[in-house]
Amino acid sequence: MTSLYIHIPYCVKKCSYCDFNSGPHPRALMDRYIQALGKELEGTRAISEGFQTVYIGGGTPTALDEAQLERLLTLVKDVTGTNPPREYTIEANPGTLNPEKVRLMKVGGIDRVSLGVQSFSEGGLEILGRIHSPLEAEEGFYVLRDAGFSNINLDLIFGWPGQTLEEWGQDLQKVLRLGPEHVSAYCLTIERGTPISMDVRTGRLTGSDEDLQHKMFKKAHASFTRAGYKHYEISNFALKGRECLHNINYWNNGPYLGLGAGAFSYVDGRRYSNVKDVQKYIEKITSGRRAVSFTETLPSRRRAAETLVMALRMHSGIAEGEFHRRTGYSLTELYGPSIEKFQHLGLLSLTGGRLRLTQKGLFLANQVMVEFV
Amino acid sequence: MYTDRIRNFCIIAHIDHGKSTLADRLLESTQTVSSREFREQVLDDMDLERERGITIKASAVTMNYKKDGKDYVLNLIDTPGHVDFSYEVFRSLAACEGALLLVDAAQGVEAQTVANAYLAIEKHLEIIPVLNKIDLQQARPVEVIEEMEKTLGMLPRDVIKVSAKSGLGVDELFKAIIERLPPPKGNSQGALRGLIFDSVYDDYRGVVVYLRVFDGSLRAGDRIYMMKTQMSFEVTEVGVFKPKMSPVEALHTGEVGYLVASIKSIHDVEIGDTVTHDKNRAGVALPGYQRPLPMVYCGLYPTADTDLVPLRMALEKLSLNDSSFTFEPERSPALGFGFRCGFLGLLHMEVVQERLERESNVNIIQTAPSVTYEIVNKKGEVNKIDNPDHVPMEGDIEEFREPIVAMKIVLPSEYIGTVMQICEERRGKYISTEYLSEKRVILNYELPLAEVIFDFYDKLKSATRGYGTMDYTFLGYRPADLVRLDILVGGKKVDALSSIVHKDQAYYKGKKLAKKLREEIPRHLFEVVIQAAIGSRIIAREAIRPMRKDVTAKCYGGDITRKRKLLEKQKEGKKRLKVVGSVEIPQEAFLSVLTPHE
Ligand SMILES: Nc1nc2c(ncn2[C@@H]2O[C@H](COP(=O)(O)OP(=O)(O)OP(=O)(O)O)[C@@H](O)[C@H]2O)c(=O)[nH]1
Ligand code: SF4
Ligand SMILES: [Mg+2]
Repeated sequence: MTSLYIHIPYCVKKCSYCDFNSGPHPRALMDRYIQALGKELEGTRAISEGFQTVYIGGGTPTALDEAQLERLLTLVKDVTGTNPPREYTIEANPGTLNPEKVRLMKVGGIDRVSLGVQSFSEGGLEILGRIHSPLEAEEGFYVLRDAGFSNINLDLIFGWPGQTLEEWGQDLQKVLRLGPEHVSAYCLTIERGTPISMDVRTGRLTGSDEDLQHKMFKKAHASFTRAGYKHYEISNFALKGRECLHNINYWNNGPYLGLGAGAFSYVDGRRYSNVKDVQKYIEKITSGRRAVSFTETLPSRRRAAETLVMALRMHSGIAEGEFHRRTGYSLTELYGPSIEKFQHLGLLSLTGGRLRLTQKGLFLANQVMVEFV
Repeated sequence: MYTDRIRNFCIIAHIDHGKSTLADRLLESTQTVSSREFREQVLDDMDLERERGITIKASAVTMNYKKDGKDYVLNLIDTPGHVDFSYEVFRSLAACEGALLLVDAAQGVEAQTVANAYLAIEKHLEIIPVLNKIDLQQARPVEVIEEMEKTLGMLPRDVIKVSAKSGLGVDELFKAIIERLPPPKGNSQGALRGLIFDSVYDDYRGVVVYLRVFDGSLRAGDRIYMMKTQMSFEVTEVGVFKPKMSPVEALHTGEVGYLVASIKSIHDVEIGDTVTHDKNRAGVALPGYQRPLPMVYCGLYPTADTDLVPLRMALEKLSLNDSSFTFEPERSPALGFGFRCGFLGLLHMEVVQERLERESNVNIIQTAPSVTYEIVNKKGEVNKIDNPDHVPMEGDIEEFREPIVAMKIVLPSEYIGTVMQICEERRGKYISTEYLSEKRVILNYELPLAEVIFDFYDKLKSATRGYGTMDYTFLGYRPADLVRLDILVGGKKVDALSSIVHKDQAYYKGKKLAKKLREEIPRHLFEVVIQAAIGSRIIAREAIRPMRKDVTAKCYGGDITRKRKLLEKQKEGKKRLKVVGSVEIPQEAFLSVLTPHE
């Protein structure tokens, strides 16, 4: 079954490290955007078996005002109503939550919230250019709990300029005290062209070094596993049964439909995406055309490589039989020597017919994957 | 056209004194290049020349000029000024009767002014001294003309003052070219003799030969014979440079142009050879050229073993257009199969490497440059060595000799002290000081070539605020206290990183080199140890910590395509590294050996 992703390219203010398709937009434009989304959603009615997961991401979906949010959730419910998904997530920014929006989310059928906390350090939030305070983040979490949300993810970022191992330890302690069902802990990637990358380049900020980031990664692993979370993907931890089904579908190289500006879809081996520009997206959809601006269909050999690379992100890796069933290729025939080499270097393990990255290999994943693409 | 209406001349000068700009003005005045095609330094047509703003190759061009109702043909050759390309100047001079010797009115006489003037004098060329850039505020015409008189024996009244930028004085220069330069001599009725002074490989037409006709004449359809390579060909086209190749009916005595003869193999043409008619062969060949001796050597290796053949082909093609570099196959235990190449200097080396990569699409690893040494073994035999890896064990060496050059440095007298200090640090031997004028001097030193090649020029420039210039000639070999410094990476000796150093500096250089390599070699999945050694003695050790992190933290839906592309790019990048043992070494690391003294 297919998954559904809906993109809201709207944020109150751009964070310093962010290179996603998002930014501040006039209110009226967002009204029209939601209208266009409604039209694109209409087209999915043809998918009779419904969606196994729905994910509203961004940007910041919760930055929409109450009326817009209500409208959006109604539109989604219109098409999924008879066939509710197994998991229905929305991304939320603590600086934009209020009890009314949270109530609307609940009524709309959402059962999982991903809260973008990133850090509980005042200085960290400032460097990252976030719009909220540590206190607001904590409050946001409680508002969600009070409204009855029992599946919450907290997004964290570590390895930002100047962050110490102790500070990271404090963030981890804080998270464990709150006790979310799921945690995403990302090591900061300094993307080209972002404000933070300029600051690092000009020396205003000093980038964190890889040895420290590695220690932070190990610390996160140790803290969460001790507390009963499973480290089930490079950057993700979950209590039993609370792994994110929507993302697992991506890592399984499964099919999904993406709606909205810049959203990617993957259907029948074909990957395509809509135009990134919000205005253009609205114009195309409103005038009854499709908004697709990029398509690729990979030859089976490269699709197999992609399947492997994505699967290795997960702790479970991939079983040889499963790989063969999904791609038609034999894992060892394609990659035998490389697999052996990385086993020798302690980055891959192949036990019981299952190939996976070792604990050491997780944080060096690209070194392994680069040999497979 | 009568031979006495032809003038063949080249423009010679120190680097940047305005040769190519003056050529622009001459081409413009004679309307050889239309204003539509015109751009600054139009003869610098190689991408590398335009990017670097210097002339690398000499270019010939034919101009038509009218004076007093008479038509003249002027063949001009613009030459490079940088020392490393002096062989270009040397070859150009042999195709001319005259030379315009340009001197920048602000800079004055400099090292290559002197060197190139002497080359022209030795060839008995008629020299027209030209003072350029007189439009500049800093121009000091009186003093500079005095310098020209004192060092080069030019008479002040013969000096023509021009601004190549504005065109001022160009008419007077034309007049001097017609009146003062002799027309070519030669026997227009005699057997054909043409000097091959350059050539270029064209994928469609084969080798295009550039020649100066000394006797007789040459037409399309003629059957020619190369006197040295003893090959004969049928000429399909002859022409002149305007500056693009333009076919003409014939090339006559005294003319400069090109010939095409479907010469497919580049081995069939040799620079300096004489072209004659196959049927009516000339008795004696023209003197030709002596190939210059390379000053520096380095290894060039394809990063991918499969590129060996394309690299050889690229080298052969390039050598046709640049006969001053040499190459021979060699094998390095660390790098596999490649070529040992000789160059006239570091800039020459850089230019050749860049041209090779651009013109052939082969990724190249270049090893540390080295000069040629002489080693006398215990049996008294002398061996020349241009690859540090070939130095025998210390016990087998009776005497280690290094090349010495005679160095001429032209500089303002206020910097004498600083420059002498630089020379002393580099084991120089003071010879003499000559005064050009009250404020400018020539310092003469004898220096080990190895100390000169690498960063001497940069040091000189910064010590003299850019005013110092230098020129050197090879003197001979002298014994010195030298040793081979080896580098081990991951416990394995990397022959391509070995260098020959003076004993007194060995310890310091070994430490420095190991440090530098630690920065240049990327982290690996395991610890990489770098050691510097003399013989079996380790004198420095550095370790590169293992890589800890290489991961894309986030990867959802739309990122999948992007992530794959990033991985593909990362994979491409790896192809630029040379794998030695299990360590991947980037090009920069091989050049670490060039790390300057301080
Ligand atoms: N002001 C002024 N600048 C000049 C004149 N002639 C040349 N230049 C400048 O001097 C610089 C060097 O000129 P080129 O013509 O490239 O010098 P070159 O002698 O051909 O240099 P190489 O071929 O590299 O040896 C350029 O920036 C020219 O614009 C002149 O008469 N007056
Ligand atoms: S809230 Fe998220 S999407 Fe918006 S700017 Fe910040 S990081 Fe980017
Ligand atoms: Mg020039």
